[in-house]
Amino acid sequence: MSEIRTLIVDDSSVMRKIVERALRQAGLDTLVVHEAGSGAEGLEVLKDNAVDIILSDINMPVMDGIEFVRQLKAQNLAAGVPVIMITTESSEEHVKQAIQAGAAGYIRKPFTAEQVKERVLPLLKAA
Amino acid sequence: MGVSLRESVELIADPRNLDASVEEVFHTMMGGTCLREKDPAVPYTPESVTAVVGFGGLFSGACVLRSSAETARLLAERMTGMEFVELDDTVRDAFGEICNMLAGAWKGRVPNLAGHCGLSVPAVITGRDYNIHVQSPEFRVHHFFSLDGARFDVTIICDGLR
Repeated sequence: MSEIRTLIVDDSSVMRKIVERALRQAGLDTLVVHEAGSGAEGLEVLKDNAVDIILSDINMPVMDGIEFVRQLKAQNLAAGVPVIMITTESSEEHVKQAIQAGAAGYIRKPFTAEQVKERVLPLLKAA
Repeated sequence: MGVSLRESVELIADPRNLDASVEEVFHTMMGGTCLREKDPAVPYTPESVTAVVGFGGLFSGACVLRSSAETARLLAERMTGMEFVELDDTVRDAFGEICNMLAGAWKGRVPNLAGHCGLSVPAVITGRDYNIHVQSPEFRVHHFFSLDGARFDVTIICDGLR
């Protein structure tokens, strides 16, 4: 697979590293990772960098993941790039909110590398 | 008609939910099996670490994860695959995330609770000789665990249910 450019948005730097490790374990060896600690930071990163997929937490200070996805659309950033929410918030209500905002998928924490692979690879192939 | 969690209090307070949540989080993120311990073997000395994630909405309270500084460091190593020589910001971050996942896993086990109860971002406290007090909780579930000999405890505190 050619170079995959990824944005990982999470207020926890540890979780960003764990998500990156899971992506590499999923076979994405040629990963280029951009990181952001909040939705607002994520928007700034996307103004200067093109990416192929975005993985974002929901529960973050400054700007949460749902608002981040809404702002992507409002600001016409990363058009057509799939966004996967990775979060402890797993209720149907949260999933519905995320999908309505524009997310393409959902991974619940705690997660395995296999679960990340199952969600991410089909979206990358379809993109 | 509005949703009420009052009628589900026995289900919410079921202590098995906490054990299953701990098992899920530690097995998935650290590849280990936690043992339920009867009581604390020794006090967490010289320094303890406490992570707190608040619940808000129809259920208010907190999930509290506590261990010694050494156990926090070991758990962070297990979760991240990195090595840490001391209790630094990354260890505190990892410890807070474990608590966050425990809180999310716990509330996800009760129908209606997950959708009507939000989580705060984790707060992590380190130090010696401190206690966390909650005025008249509705209920409290407090269990001790170990992972490969490293001891920790998890508490679910409910201080309001609507």
